[in-house]
Amino acid sequence: MRPVYILGVGAHPWGKFPHKPQLQLALDAMSLALTDANLEWNDLQALVAASSRFEGGMGWGLHANEIVQAVAEKGIPASNVGGGCAAGGIAVHAAFSMVASGQCDVAAAVGAERMPKGFIPRPPGIPNDITDSDYLRWVAMGATNPAYWALETRRRMHDFGTSDHTLALASVLMHRNAVANPLARYRKACTVAEVLASPMVSDPLRILEICAVSDGAAAVILGSEEQARQRGGPMIRVAGCAIATGQFGDPAVRVPTIAMAARMATPHTSEVVGAVRAACTMAEVEPNDIDLVELADNTAWHVLAWPEFFGFFEPGQSDWMLAQGEMDIDGRLPINPSGGFLSFGEATTAQGVLQVCEVAWQLRGQATGRQVQRARVGMTAVLGLGANGASVVLKV
Amino acid sequence: MPIMESVPVVEGLFQDVAEGVRLMGTHCTSCGTHYFPKSLSCRNPFCREKKIVDTLLGPGGTLYSYTLQTYQPPPLFRMAPWAPYLIGLVELPQGIRVMGMLTGCGPDKLRIGMPMQLTSETLYCNEEGRAVLTYKFKPANTAADAAPGRGANS
Repeated sequence: MRPVYILGVGAHPWGKFPHKPQLQLALDAMSLALTDANLEWNDLQALVAASSRFEGGMGWGLHANEIVQAVAEKGIPASNVGGGCAAGGIAVHAAFSMVASGQCDVAAAVGAERMPKGFIPRPPGIPNDITDSDYLRWVAMGATNPAYWALETRRRMHDFGTSDHTLALASVLMHRNAVANPLARYRKACTVAEVLASPMVSDPLRILEICAVSDGAAAVILGSEEQARQRGGPMIRVAGCAIATGQFGDPAVRVPTIAMAARMATPHTSEVVGAVRAACTMAEVEPNDIDLVELADNTAWHVLAWPEFFGFFEPGQSDWMLAQGEMDIDGRLPINPSGGFLSFGEATTAQGVLQVCEVAWQLRGQATGRQVQRARVGMTAVLGLGANGASVVLKV
Repeated sequence: MPIMESVPVVEGLFQDVAEGVRLMGTHCTSCGTHYFPKSLSCRNPFCREKKIVDTLLGPGGTLYSYTLQTYQPPPLFRMAPWAPYLIGLVELPQGIRVMGMLTGCGPDKLRIGMPMQLTSETLYCNEEGRAVLTYKFKPANTAADAAPGRGANS
């Protein structure tokens, strides 16, 4: 494998854009990333898109094909990758692999999403089938995604004494980080009292502690060392890049399953832990080397639990770290300086790409108003349906 | 009161036998892992034989976690009349944790680790006038309710 570098990153702001087609969101993000890379559409040698199930892609998940057909029909390979909400991370991994293997010198990964309103419904046309957990969880008990996360949260409260106040504090931190981020959808700071006063969704999780769904798009252009030197500026290397699936015995209450054979030896959220470990091994970094993390905070619980799962903190230690400000932008391990999912709302397949954009901006020193000082190593972690995990480590 | 004819919300998910409600799962006779609902194979990567047989799970377990779901889920879920309800995660002595609706007490009475037992209840009445049942867990409060030797398992 040869070294792979970030040539350019770009993202469309997150929000609701009812008059902008999914393809337009993708093109906007791609144009920004190409401009950032000082490249043109014609320079692109391969494109990988995260397949969305909601819109675009000709109904077959062919989002990369739509993009090349719309702006640059020159016969380049176009791949479309699935992976639920981790598809963006998996797209980055696929583009990384093409450059690392020498198949091409410039490859792009893109994720663009327009989300339906409210709870994510089942895809249309799927038969009612007892072997389909997503069918069972709805008909047998109506378990929404927040219910799954609430079961994890309630158990954490039991195991470690996590309080409502601490959960609210995690949400406050995410919203505070987003105030200076022009890409975030929710940019208003909130207080613990406001979070605690927000409506309960699935006890103990309140609406300000659960991510909304948004529209958004992000793109990353990766390239060889020679390409990166031509672009100029800081050399941001993709030092680690890994995808993984879940492991047998994972104790996570995994959406949309309704039962699990939990084994003590298996890490919680093993698909993401597996990807993080592999990415860190590839990058030859230890938790202490990492200056910031962008993780998939679907809820306030994720902000607390995931750094522990990754080995950054001891089990149960996150509550104290959060309260001491150690997860703040100027803390020991800044978590989601971007503002995270809680401030963006989840644009499912775009999220894993946006995380890489944010880490690149941080390492370049371009994260105005939310900059982690002296950031040299940053990591992303994202989870998707089907027990998909992806993680990227960038180094400057 | 006339006894209403009833149907399970999904065939093959649970059954009401003489001893009470049981979940219909599978068991790998090679590595001993239990699955719910029925699995097509054994998911244990270290299990080579993967010999799956049908088995009944339950009746008791302990409460591992719970939540009160306040918002009405999307339409595939039917419950009439609808009201906020509890969902729990119950650890069965067969080594698996199972999600299900909770009944028989309010959230204030629930304690993680308390013994629970399977039951079934009506979700709604369908167009043929039949009661559509789902499995639920309820607190195993009395000696008569609790299955011997199961309640204290954690």
